[in-house]
Amino acid sequence: MMNLEVAKKLLQTGIENAKEMGKVCSIALVDENGWLVALYRMDGAPIPTAEIARDKAWTAAVFRRPSSEVSAYGDPGAPGFGLNVQNWNDRLTTIPGGLPIWDGDLMIGAIGACGGTPEDDVFLCQKIIEEINSRQDNFRL
Amino acid sequence: MNQLTLEQALKMIEAAERWARDIAESPCSIAVVDKAGAAIAVHRMDGAGMATTDIAIEKAWTAVAFKMPTLMGSRWLDPRNIGKLLGDHAMGMIGRGKGRLCFIPGGIPVTNEENEVIGAIGCSGVPSGVGDISDTSVSQAGVTALYE
Repeated sequence: MMNLEVAKKLLQTGIENAKEMGKVCSIALVDENGWLVALYRMDGAPIPTAEIARDKAWTAAVFRRPSSEVSAYGDPGAPGFGLNVQNWNDRLTTIPGGLPIWDGDLMIGAIGACGGTPEDDVFLCQKIIEEINSRQDNFRL
Repeated sequence: MNQLTLEQALKMIEAAERWARDIAESPCSIAVVDKAGAAIAVHRMDGAGMATTDIAIEKAWTAVAFKMPTLMGSRWLDPRNIGKLLGDHAMGMIGRGKGRLCFIPGGIPVTNEENEVIGAIGCSGVPSGVGDISDTSVSQAGVTALYE
């Protein structure tokens, strides 16, 4: 289950990694239903990055897949064609940089980052999840 | 001190959270915004309602926008005060600011040494808005921590 303890760990890791990469960014963390648990905007990060990070995390959480993969619904041959342009809660985005967080088979939340190029954002999210997965007890506080 | 940093924002939130957990004993959301009213850091404590994050941000935004605690503005919207403070127009505050204006008590602006507003903190989730155990007192705990 997502809780604030986990969220804080994940975001602190994210901020440290972003500093190492020399990026300023916003990182948002949502629970399994897409609702915000914690959000940090680093000093100097542009104002819209906070909302975009949250949107990415929301998209990853409700679709249970990376936000970049949601754009696959733009393919007329795909099942669910057009899902990517529905205005869900004003939050849906197909910009890469939102990843769901899995604890085994259970999705416990999602993380979204915004501030660098899409590749940087995805890399940052992956770093955060890797770091947290490397700790054994992290989701069972 | 010209603007709030993430570090300062987290310091405020930690203190407010401690207050909410130990004294108010009520899970809530706490948000800190900069002088543009944009969120710097937001925390939703375990057990706090899912809508409280947005309300906390809106309270903080309103505190910056009006440069005063939302507690003061809430009096404008009190129907008992119609005709006393700003006349009937006070109720027109409802729904302004593209829906972000929120005059529920719980947002407090943060000022620097020159008395300029450099940000605000907002809290939502404690059952009461005003009083000893309230959103306002949780926010106040955060503001106090910044100046320590």
